[in-house]
Amino acid sequence: MAERFELPAELNIYSALETRDALLAWVAEQTAEGRDLLEVSARDVAEVDGSGLQLLAALANGDLPWHLVEASVPFMAACRTLGLGKWLDGRTLKTGATQ
Amino acid sequence: MSMDADLAFIAQAMPAFISEAAEQIEAIEILLLELEEQPDNRELLDSLFRCAHTVKGSAGIFGLNRVVEFTHHVETLLDKMREGELALNPDISTLLLQCNDQIKFLVDTAADESADTPEQKDLRADLVVQLRALTEAGQAPASQAAAVSAGPAAKPGAEAIWNISARFGVETFRNGMDPLSIARYLGGMGEVVSVRCGSDAVPPLVNLNPESCYLSFSMQLKTKASREDIEGAFSFVMDDCELDVVAPETADQKMARALEDMPGTPRLGDMLVSVGALTQDKLTQVLSTQESSRGMPAVAKSKIGDLLEAQAGVAPEVVAAALGKQQKLRESAPSEERYIRVQADRLDAVINLLGELVIAGAGATLLARETHGEALIEANLHMNGLIEEIRNGTLGLRMVPVGETFSRFRRVVRDTASSLGKEVNFEIVGGDAELDKSMVEKIADPLMHLVRNSLDHGLETAQERLSAGKPAAGKLVLSARHETGAILIRIEDDGRGINRERVLQRAWNRGLVEQGVVPPDDDIHMLIFEPGFSTAEQVTNLSGRGVGMDVVRRNIEALRGSIRLNSNPGKGLQVDIRLPLTLAIIDGFMVGVGASKFVLPLEAVVEVIESGGEHVRVDERGRHCLELRGAVLPVVRLRTLYSVESDLPERVSVVVVHSPRGKYGIEVEVLLGQNQTVIKPLGRLFKTLRGISGSSILGNGEVALILDVVSLGELITGTDLLALAG
Repeated sequence: MAERFELPAELNIYSALETRDALLAWVAEQTAEGRDLLEVSARDVAEVDGSGLQLLAALANGDLPWHLVEASVPFMAACRTLGLGKWLDGRTLKTGATQ
Repeated sequence: MSMDADLAFIAQAMPAFISEAAEQIEAIEILLLELEEQPDNRELLDSLFRCAHTVKGSAGIFGLNRVVEFTHHVETLLDKMREGELALNPDISTLLLQCNDQIKFLVDTAADESADTPEQKDLRADLVVQLRALTEAGQAPASQAAAVSAGPAAKPGAEAIWNISARFGVETFRNGMDPLSIARYLGGMGEVVSVRCGSDAVPPLVNLNPESCYLSFSMQLKTKASREDIEGAFSFVMDDCELDVVAPETADQKMARALEDMPGTPRLGDMLVSVGALTQDKLTQVLSTQESSRGMPAVAKSKIGDLLEAQAGVAPEVVAAALGKQQKLRESAPSEERYIRVQADRLDAVINLLGELVIAGAGATLLARETHGEALIEANLHMNGLIEEIRNGTLGLRMVPVGETFSRFRRVVRDTASSLGKEVNFEIVGGDAELDKSMVEKIADPLMHLVRNSLDHGLETAQERLSAGKPAAGKLVLSARHETGAILIRIEDDGRGINRERVLQRAWNRGLVEQGVVPPDDDIHMLIFEPGFSTAEQVTNLSGRGVGMDVVRRNIEALRGSIRLNSNPGKGLQVDIRLPLTLAIIDGFMVGVGASKFVLPLEAVVEVIESGGEHVRVDERGRHCLELRGAVLPVVRLRTLYSVESDLPERVSVVVVHSPRGKYGIEVEVLLGQNQTVIKPLGRLFKTLRGISGSSILGNGEVALILDVVSLGELITGTDLLALAG
């Protein structure tokens, strides 16, 4: 599997279960490979809701730290609206992301 | 700190939390009852809120989520009351009292979740529904809410910063709702100053059900919108969301609150500087103006508060808050520093040792006297003086005002009277009289029973009272006062009194008194304390089963106390409970009869008369008596009463003592003087011995009996003495 996890275009309640399973499998693989920092990309995210953001909060409450490497405008807007702007760390996040 | 250390700390601190929470819960009840009587009292309401907030906050530290969750709903209601949106009425008061009972239950069972039965859970859920119905829908119109002065609130149309915090319910996503949409909607109402998502409650991915919602957020929103508009954003999630919308404050109100919250800084100027209401330079100017007015006449002198307003332009509201805070600090500072929490058993251990020290001290004094060494006797006297001081001080540590216990009865009276449909004015008198803590604890239950009994059987219904020419509302007074080395607790009502005929009839029917025999009135009244005795025609669930009144008397007697009834048919009943102030040590006056030693409580002794035995004569009723300054003084002859065998001395002494029934004399043969008496209970064999309340071991190992002045006085006025007088 890839080194970074690409979040789906629809990061919402309709895909939440599927995304969680995919994330879990990827985390397990990254753990097995001995990675100490997970990379997640929200480059393709076009639609996002609270349940989608909650998935990342759940990832944050797990054992391995993660950071966001790319993010779409809708994703960034959603994070800022709900008070999760801390995920959008300018030092690591590549700006000019796709919409 | 490691997790183990955390857990160990929590386990260690838990008893202190439970004890402090119990105090807060008790305070909540008292405050609620006081607020019922003074609904305009903002201070009471604020204190009430603070108590609930403290319980919630401390419970949170200990991870007691049930307490936190439930108390949060109570706190929300109290907050609505503080904001003037709801006014306290009897229904809300009853609900809050019931909620307080539930908080007490949750705290009491904090360590045992299994005690939280389905019934309790249902009850709690029902209370939460009632609380939410009030906080969410029942916002009274301003005119109704006027009873409680309004807190800070935004004027409609004025831009203000609101603090909004929302914890969404687990079903939010499934119900088609989304916190993100709500946050977005709120953003459209104005400017979001700050927003923070609460994601701590979200489980790790492996445990997450992605369709359940665990999110919360807190937002500061600058908007012209009203509270209703803001709450409207949550209208579709209201049933499943904990929402707090805190009214904005003006800058002055913010400073006033900062002053209120700041720890003790007594100087007015410093307080104002620290909250930013005043610069240090301005303060220096104002202080120098004040300094320059020192030499002037009093009328020309400027008060610092006035100068701060006039010269430094500090808002009067802020100065008032700072002065208020200063005043509170002055009032509370001594009391905050006065208390230290000590485990009761440690104190008991010290008191037990003290008892031994008193006995050992008496032994040492005795030995010192035998040596006739003046220096040694002197040293012993000094030591005994110190022991006495330590004794008084240590026993004082256990003394608490009975008022704390009495206050609990307000609730009992309120609930009982309302369930009986009676109107009762309840008064507490002399609540500051002090009593040993263990006595206070033990007397609470008997008192509770007697109070309930007065309400149930003593006081009539409004209808009955009116037709008897009495005011519709009954009167119940609970009072306490010190009386000859004891405390007298009186429960007095203006009800119907004891129905002497009905009691006598019942006693005949039950075989408690031989058919046709009519004992004196006092004895008839006391029959209600006989096991299984009940005259209530209709047994109620409060009292009237006859269960308990005998236990009441037994419990009081077990405390070396006594109970007396004074019934005035149709006018009311007085129940007098006399209790010794302490169970441990008294100041005694020792006397001897033959080889026996007796101790009298020193406080009961009035005077001592030297008398030739011939002066004590027997009156026509067979009682011993003595003429004292033209009056006849009844006398108890201990030699006769307790069949002491010895040669009759030529001269005897009569110790005059006072009891609630008046003065009387006790004829003794030797006066042995004052001593500290450590009270030891009488063995079971001697419990029935009348006139004796305990025993004491003397320094030389001898045993002295402690005389009970009250019951001895009753013997002298009763018929029993006739038989005993020889």
